[in-house]
Amino acid sequence: MSSLREIIHENVREGELYQKLDREWVRCFACGHCCKIPDEQPGVCKVRYNQGGTLYVPWGYVGCIQCDPIEKKPFFHAYPGSLAYSFGMLGCDLHCAYCQNWVTSQALRDPAAVAGPMRVAPTELILDALHQGGRVIVSTYNEPLITSEWAVAVFKEARAAGLLTGFVSNGNGTPQVLEYLRPWVDLYKVDLKSFDDRHYRQLGGRLQPILETIQRLYSLGFWLEIVTLVIPGFNDSVDELTRLAEFLANVSLDIPWHVTAFHKDYKMTDPENTRPETLVRAAEIGKKAGLRYIYPGNLPGQVGDWENTRCPNCRELLIERYGYLITGYHLTPQGCCPACGACIPGRWDAAFCRQITAHPFVPRTPRPDLFVLNS
Amino acid sequence: MAYIIAEPCIGTKDTACVDVCPVDCIHPAKSRSYDDGRPTFDEVPQLYIDPTECIDCGACVPVCPVHGYFPPGGSAGKMAGLHCDQRKLRRWWQVSA
Repeated sequence: MSSLREIIHENVREGELYQKLDREWVRCFACGHCCKIPDEQPGVCKVRYNQGGTLYVPWGYVGCIQCDPIEKKPFFHAYPGSLAYSFGMLGCDLHCAYCQNWVTSQALRDPAAVAGPMRVAPTELILDALHQGGRVIVSTYNEPLITSEWAVAVFKEARAAGLLTGFVSNGNGTPQVLEYLRPWVDLYKVDLKSFDDRHYRQLGGRLQPILETIQRLYSLGFWLEIVTLVIPGFNDSVDELTRLAEFLANVSLDIPWHVTAFHKDYKMTDPENTRPETLVRAAEIGKKAGLRYIYPGNLPGQVGDWENTRCPNCRELLIERYGYLITGYHLTPQGCCPACGACIPGRWDAAFCRQITAHPFVPRTPRPDLFVLNS
Repeated sequence: MAYIIAEPCIGTKDTACVDVCPVDCIHPAKSRSYDDGRPTFDEVPQLYIDPTECIDCGACVPVCPVHGYFPPGGSAGKMAGLHCDQRKLRRWWQVSA
């Protein structure tokens, strides 16, 4: 029986996002830590490691697969109702105490985080995504930036098969990784977890690289949506949320901002679960900052009209939602308001197709012919 | 919370930890002077971590040749008489320097 470390270290290949230094050290550019890594050591993420002056990175496996409605990612302004075939690997550059995916993200950092990776080839993953009815394939669950080489390999196959691609990320990026991803990633969600550098350091990162990544993602033309998990007592002060919303508004008023409800998870069990009125208060702060599309999330049916998309120009109801379920779709084929003609920023289909699912489900895989469980 | 550097560093001051730290929170760095009056590398017996800058990533731990790093709250930290508190650290450090 192999240890998790041995399994992870067997499923690697040489990375592309690094630079060789003297004394067989390397500098990795996959995430904002930009780790300088001595020989025989891993980076902060634990899954990219230096051996003999070569950086090895995760390759050829998935830690989990799930079929999600795209609204769960969440993308609200990209192909509403479509199925997002979602995969993750193992590891993360942060260590958030409230992580909901800690079993995969904290691999090799927390001894309790043990998930069995499954070996798979990109073509096999794409075949399964098509089989499930996927429209978009998304790298998520762990931090996709630290497994960017594998994501790009999968996304190249995805493009060839007509699928769209997405990243669900903490946004702790670098200029190098964003240039590397730009040709292959269509949709990008950033978790902007706080607007206080001290809070970010508690989570294992810094605020500045994330703000710079958000600005770069927007200027490079990725379709960008931002999520802030609103945690009582951690990041829900009026001052912090106001500064955060004003930063986003300064990048673009058209960036959708999801303010989502926290629930007790992993090591963070002290704060109370976020109440609907707290989310609505956050949404109103965003509105005051000028943002046009704000969506309180995780509390279906408890935040009134805020779940829907309305035309910022004439207030016409454009997309109606209940949680991940699309209950009404009224955009024109060009993605514009049918009442006043204002075009709504996003990536829109010519027509709304029936949702395959409004609930996440695990596909009837691993199919033994596609996925081989490591032992 | 932050990692702390304890007694084994005294007289060692290997700087592999300074090289790997992704947020430059280990001081004093060689060839660096501090505007706020903190001593330079040659003026201190051991290195210290600024707990307000540390992101608790642990990159410093495996590269330390004398096993001088301890996570916060552990008994080793208490034995060394150190606490994860910048004011106390500074006080200790000024006395020792």
